[in-house]
Amino acid sequence: MTETTARDDTVPGASDSELKRSITGRLLFFYVLGDVLGSGIYVLIGLVAGAVGGAFWIAFAVGVTIATITGLAYAELVTKYPQAAGAALYVNKAFRSTPLTFLVTVTFLAASFAAAGSLATGFSSYFAELWELPPALLISIVFILLLAVVNYIGITESVVANMLMTFVEIAGLVIVMITGVWYVAEGKADFGQLTDFTTDGNPAFALLAGVALAFFAMTGFENAANVAEETINPSRTFPRALVGGMAAAGVIYVLVAITAALTVPNKTLADSDAALLEVIEAGILPIPVGLMTTLFAVIAMVAITNTTLVAVVTQSRILYGMAREDVVPGVFAKVHSSRRSPWVALIFAAVVVTGLLVVGALLNNAGVGVDVVERLSLVTVVLTLAIYLMVIAACLKLTNSDVHDDSFRAPRALLAIGILGNFALLAYVVIDDPFSLVWCAGLIAVGGILYAVEYFFGTKTAARDKHGVTTSKEI
Amino acid sequence: MHVVVATDGSKQSLAAARHLVSFADPDKVTDVSVVGVVSPYASVGFADEISKEAKSRTPRTFREEATAAVATVAAEFAGWGPKVHQRLRSGSPANEIVKAARTLGAGLVVVASGSRGLSDTVLLGSTAQRVQHSAPCPVLVVRPAPRKSRRRAKS
Repeated sequence: MTETTARDDTVPGASDSELKRSITGRLLFFYVLGDVLGSGIYVLIGLVAGAVGGAFWIAFAVGVTIATITGLAYAELVTKYPQAAGAALYVNKAFRSTPLTFLVTVTFLAASFAAAGSLATGFSSYFAELWELPPALLISIVFILLLAVVNYIGITESVVANMLMTFVEIAGLVIVMITGVWYVAEGKADFGQLTDFTTDGNPAFALLAGVALAFFAMTGFENAANVAEETINPSRTFPRALVGGMAAAGVIYVLVAITAALTVPNKTLADSDAALLEVIEAGILPIPVGLMTTLFAVIAMVAITNTTLVAVVTQSRILYGMAREDVVPGVFAKVHSSRRSPWVALIFAAVVVTGLLVVGALLNNAGVGVDVVERLSLVTVVLTLAIYLMVIAACLKLTNSDVHDDSFRAPRALLAIGILGNFALLAYVVIDDPFSLVWCAGLIAVGGILYAVEYFFGTKTAARDKHGVTTSKEI
Repeated sequence: MHVVVATDGSKQSLAAARHLVSFADPDKVTDVSVVGVVSPYASVGFADEISKEAKSRTPRTFREEATAAVATVAAEFAGWGPKVHQRLRSGSPANEIVKAARTLGAGLVVVASGSRGLSDTVLLGSTAQRVQHSAPCPVLVVRPAPRKSRRRAKS
């Protein structure tokens, strides 16, 4: 009996097969919110404050707006192509160029590695608030390795765990906001702080620096494309949940930034490794500072963990997908027989991020004077900005392709603003810090080596199948 | 009796389905539901290693992989007697298998236990173990055979 006839008589009608999707709009909203919230605010607020001065909340507002506009382009593309491939798929659809698609994939991967490194460093600074003894480098490495194990076990599949972590994150930021309200109610707030640009240079330039950093606090939203395929009614749900999640995160960010600016001297924020903690340590709320500090450090760690988990999932997914298509060596597609996790990809990602952390720490000790967190976050901004630019361009180019009745259409005027905004930021970041290009090149080189290995030592089929990351069918 | 046969796309899950056919009485089984679960939040939502398409390198989405794996396992029951249903769900695999068993009023759940490896014993238990824990009915866990046996030639 052949399989075809077998399948025919086992499926009398499509009505008999049950095809349930599980991601509702609300779940997606919290997925986006949790992913976005953890990524930057806890780690970066000090850096933004240092770059701009007391008015750094404006930088947050602008950064958030540009990111949300970029989110609109993603939403449009996701509703057209709800496969879980993200930027690489869209660029391939629009430009049909294998090297470009490969470059986007590797760039995205590199950005994700850099982000994970930066988040791990952020985690270790909050950890130091609880227990100062272990060296920060050790903590960040253990953190990355633990996340790899968690992914291997498959705990990440838990929707409940994701929701819980998101609620904890929101709780932390609500504590900060309550502190702000309390401070204002006591009449101590000096609103002059909010319009203060303390940097010596041009305020507009300072603001741009802040925007670039604040923008990083929003990255991560593109990971929502991971779950696009399992979203119920994606064409309606996805844009709302994505933009809603980002807008909610943006409002929370701006409020938190205003609170930080009002309650803590700017210099303190800028010098702090764990800047939001300074707000708590200012002792404004009538609750013992020690207790609050501990609680808040734990919350911050949960937030960072949530975001980093999503980053690690995305990395191993991309590596797995690339290996399936023979873009990188096939071992990355190895799935553990019962855990169903791509263990080789997980180990590789953990090794790369750990390597970044170690190299960063060594350079720091050697007195190069490079701040690793700042470095990594800037590098990530350069890479992600380039990807976002391409995604918006892809969205515009695909305006008339694959339109169906209920595909979402982002306002074109906003997309144009998005392109300008992303481009201005990219130009600024590169001009301001050309050395970051060296770091980018280093990260991309890792991908290039993978590509070369596959090209020269890969199987024969590799040459034939290498039509970029996605030759996937239309739906 | 309604039997739920779970597949995670592994060869072991196909072996489990064959094992059921090898001993169960098709007259006592009214329905077989083959259930595959896509996990949207996991690193790999679904990995199909058993369908014909699995060998080709055409890129497929997790959902397409799951559909193909479920169809492949369902094909094992063709001509066996009971009505065969193909069901795809999404979420956490153990949860969804148990939920499917509950809503279908299943009398038996068949799952494969992937490996005898250390990680399954030490790290929180596998899907099979979690299903045993909360299934509303008896569970048949098909363990991997010691090398070489049970890989029967196709009938």
